[in-house]
Amino acid sequence: MTARQTAVAAGADLKWIVNSAALLGRRVRYDRQQAKWWGLVWLLTGQLGLSLRTAAALSTVALRGDSSSTQVIAGADPSGSASLIVDLARYESIFLGNLSRALVHEIPRRRGRPPRQGIKGAALATAQHYGIDLDLIRSAMRRTPAERLELLETNAAFVRAMRRRTA
Amino acid sequence: MSFASMLSGLTKKKVRFVVVGGVAAAAHGSSRVTNDLDICYDAEAAATIDALASVLAGWRAYPRGIEEGLPFIMDARTLRNAPILTLTTSEGDIDVMDRIAGVGPYDAVRRHSERISALGLRFRVLDLPSLIKAKRAAGRPRDFDHLPELEALLALRRT
Repeated sequence: MTARQTAVAAGADLKWIVNSAALLGRRVRYDRQQAKWWGLVWLLTGQLGLSLRTAAALSTVALRGDSSSTQVIAGADPSGSASLIVDLARYESIFLGNLSRALVHEIPRRRGRPPRQGIKGAALATAQHYGIDLDLIRSAMRRTPAERLELLETNAAFVRAMRRRTA
Repeated sequence: MSFASMLSGLTKKKVRFVVVGGVAAAAHGSSRVTNDLDICYDAEAAATIDALASVLAGWRAYPRGIEEGLPFIMDARTLRNAPILTLTTSEGDIDVMDRIAGVGPYDAVRRHSERISALGLRFRVLDLPSLIKAKRAAGRPRDFDHLPELEALLALRRT
């Protein structure tokens, strides 16, 4: 995972992760387990106002590995009057949602300056330079949006069927 | 498993959404084949969040690219806390977003959308200039690769 993917999976700000790791004297690793841990620390500091060190310690306890339970008591006072319960099933759902988004959408960006915005009149020449068939575009433009989406539906079904067959 | 069934499910449940991404591009004339439906939904409307979460739960939505069998609760609380989700469902793949890079949140997306009739339904799709802005802002290689075709479409439409 990249640094950005880890931050997105954690639902946290990347700079915050880097700075917090420095404050905790912790080496930053960009992987799924760390993203999950940082996500919970971010939640406990940001939403509950716990100190960074306390949140880090409680997150370690909460994510210690007993995944069979859906709720864990991350911390409690000696008398048991007050405790902090983490709903692991809920947290896991939010984390998996963010993780999926990180893996699917946050793929490394292309280095350098983005392509220039289409200059008036040059868009067609640029498209041709990229090997785009302008006649195909013109024929698509003669169709109605409804006809275009019918065609997409047919083509997508064909691609899905081919993928199933080759899987 | 089709775009029609997904769009029908969303409109029947009165989810306030705008189609963005590859399906919107196809509606404008792009020849690229996409396999997932991307929508921007109204995250300010509680009824939409509840309805969308309920539709997705009914389709047994699960985060895409994640190994099966992990606990995932698809409900309104999850959607509120993870407003951008990339999901695989019984009806097909769907990405739901509360905002679109380069365009803004739902209200801005809706302002830059047009209503179309297709697949037996009426729904909104992001307009072509905004779709280009969104692709440019997303900045991923596959988005940049799509830009020449979309800009050619826009240029041909204006001539």
